[in-house]
Amino acid sequence: MELSSILLKIIDQLDGERTIYAGYHLLRGKRSGQTLQDVEYYGLKPYFHIIPNCSKEIYDEAVNKLCQAHLIYFAADSFAHTTEKGKMEAQAIAEPQFNGWNYRGRELLFFSRLSLIVQAASHLKAGEPSFMPIQKNVEVQSFVKEFARSYSLKDPVFASTLKEELLHCMEKSGMTEEQKFILIHRLSGYRLTGWTWDQLSEQLQYPVANVRLLYIESLHRILKVIEASKDMALLPKIAENIKVTSYLTESANKTKQLFEMGLPMTAIAGRRKLKMSTIEDHFVEMAINDQKFPLTQFVSEAEAQAVVDKVRQIGTKRLRILKDQFPALSYFQLRLILGARTGGERS
Amino acid sequence: MNLKAILQEKFGFEQFRPGQEAVIRDVLDGQDTIAILPTGMGKSLCYQFPAALMDGTTLIISPLVALMEDQVAIMKKNGEKRVAALNSFLSYQEKQQVLRNLPAYKFIFISPEMLVQKKIMQAFKRIQLSLIVIDEAHCISQWGFDFRPDYLRIGEVFHEHERPPILALTATANQKVVEDIHHYLKLSNPIIHRQSVDRPNISYSFVKVDREDEKLEWLKNHVKRTVGPGIIYVASRKKADEIASLLQMLDISIASYHAGKEQEDRAFIQEQFINGELQWICSTNAFGMGIHKDNIRQVIHAHIPQTMAGYIQEVGRAGRDGEQSAATLLFTPEDEGRTRFIMQEDLPTETEIRHYNHLLAENASPTEAAQLAGISETSMRIIEYYRERMVVDAVIQQINALIQEKETQLQKIIRFVHTRVCIRKEILAFFDERQQALQAVCCSNCHSLDDTWLAKTAEDSGKQALNWRERLALLL
Repeated sequence: MELSSILLKIIDQLDGERTIYAGYHLLRGKRSGQTLQDVEYYGLKPYFHIIPNCSKEIYDEAVNKLCQAHLIYFAADSFAHTTEKGKMEAQAIAEPQFNGWNYRGRELLFFSRLSLIVQAASHLKAGEPSFMPIQKNVEVQSFVKEFARSYSLKDPVFASTLKEELLHCMEKSGMTEEQKFILIHRLSGYRLTGWTWDQLSEQLQYPVANVRLLYIESLHRILKVIEASKDMALLPKIAENIKVTSYLTESANKTKQLFEMGLPMTAIAGRRKLKMSTIEDHFVEMAINDQKFPLTQFVSEAEAQAVVDKVRQIGTKRLRILKDQFPALSYFQLRLILGARTGGERS
Repeated sequence: MNLKAILQEKFGFEQFRPGQEAVIRDVLDGQDTIAILPTGMGKSLCYQFPAALMDGTTLIISPLVALMEDQVAIMKKNGEKRVAALNSFLSYQEKQQVLRNLPAYKFIFISPEMLVQKKIMQAFKRIQLSLIVIDEAHCISQWGFDFRPDYLRIGEVFHEHERPPILALTATANQKVVEDIHHYLKLSNPIIHRQSVDRPNISYSFVKVDREDEKLEWLKNHVKRTVGPGIIYVASRKKADEIASLLQMLDISIASYHAGKEQEDRAFIQEQFINGELQWICSTNAFGMGIHKDNIRQVIHAHIPQTMAGYIQEVGRAGRDGEQSAATLLFTPEDEGRTRFIMQEDLPTETEIRHYNHLLAENASPTEAAQLAGISETSMRIIEYYRERMVVDAVIQQINALIQEKETQLQKIIRFVHTRVCIRKEILAFFDERQQALQAVCCSNCHSLDDTWLAKTAEDSGKQALNWRERLALLL
């Protein structure tokens, strides 16, 4: 799994309507109005926040690779397009099973919990109750402390149940043997320490970035299996509250609360000491994420329908073009309509 | 009081290590104490032991968050649960939780910048403190190798007549540094305990090569043929990665370690090394503090270290089990310039300080001003400390004196690596000690340094890749 092929899929889906760095912000999970809209409009939720620490260098390297292979090009408008060859290739790449929108980095929290529980159980099984925790994060440590109150980690049945559940989930998730290798080698136990990214990369002969992508995808796969299952005792507990429940940014959430109290937008901006444009971004975020968003408080149903029809007809969601078609509507109104009515599938 | 009986009962040791008992007695007598004990000689017992016999809380001021976390983890591992750490890595809630339960803790570790906060100080006033420990106390001295400006403020926080005794601990301090510890901590007639820095079971070698790439050849050859576990210290992160991957190609079990790696990977490497799953570590000076591994056989420096004191600390990580161990220093004549650059890149120039001062006068915050003037965060804190006490010209003088001092330190170590007399003797002289007895296995300047014992007899076991099923079965 390579960054460049994931990027090719993203660029293909962005359909020549965004600059090259839209993909960068998407992969890093930038919570700005623009990126959050793109995620929805172009059906890119799976890729959101899957490489939070992606560097410009690594990203540019992937971009160059695609350019040199003539899979993408930049048009005069500086937007990134896929070539015919690129389109074909993008379609040919197997759909990775990322679910970034739902986890946003919290999949790592899940694995940290699992890692500390395995480390503890492994040491207890070996009759060694004290060890240096690999996980230093206090939040993880207190979760596991709490967890250990409900489950007896030193009970041999615990270890074997956890092992069975892991085996079951890995099998059912459809992940590759390599991904299983990576997951199991990131765990530590009694006299068996986890492997670093460098060591995994050396062993598998892939660059570190690819190993990480495989790792993240395998976590998304395994979490999906855990969430769907009904008959497991331990893993669902360890995965508790990992899936994001509020899709709004914290700030947008505050705006939403004030809105629900009946304050108009200008009053919210005043109360929160924020620019009007920021409040507008929050409303667009709400339109995207909240099924019950009262769109018709801002535009008429007829206007909304007209915009949706136009989008289908001319096949673009680009604001400037739509603005030419609907001069009576503001950019803000257009963004609300696009957000509420033309997004991909909702989570 | 029969301290030995208590030692056995509460800590499970038969014997004190050299120097421990005398320090513990003075602390129990309520004396301010400065203890200079070589690395690995059990400094932490010097406060854990008295604390066990005293009511109230022991406060330990520690310079590095990572070190602090490590100390806390070890104490918890050893069964002492009444221990907490206060540092800037805690969230607001976590901090509040510790502060609310303050009297419940027997040991509280705290960073100096946290200690000087008013709220924290007030919280400490409400509990009974029985002992204040300053760990790595040499950090208080600008003449020390690891100056931390926040340490200077510790002395201002506690008032002489209202505070419990202070125990200042360090592994390395010459006379000048001891004077600074005494002065800045405002100790009253402290009793000074000094254990010799000499480590008889460590042999010292200097290897001079002409060019940088010869170092690599030497390392390849040497590490392939000699025993681990060992640490190779290098000057930069890039070098650490480079050398580790080149040696790895020779099937040497090695990994690089530096602050640029993510936390979990650092923990893995540290743990693999301690467990013997990894034979060698190639690292910057970020590796070592708080590493508890007794059987390190070799410490190799692949560059000229910045200071003697730093060098001795790093070397002192070898052979804590008392078995024969080797310290090797590999250098080229060009190292001098490189080391000087690293030492001084962090300190601000006069122009930068004036620019910074000017920005402050225009109401920039210190952080903003430092950024605009291109001053590092450490330098900013040093400047801020002096600025509160003197005018800008005097600050510049102070900083220049610091730069001068660093240069002096560097010259000392340069002279040291070129010495033709006994290396051990030179080390001891640096710490104002005289050599007591000659070692059979001494140094490359003494006759016939016998290092045949270093030869590797079996190949490293190294990491075996298990298939994942086997590994999972072993884990759970």
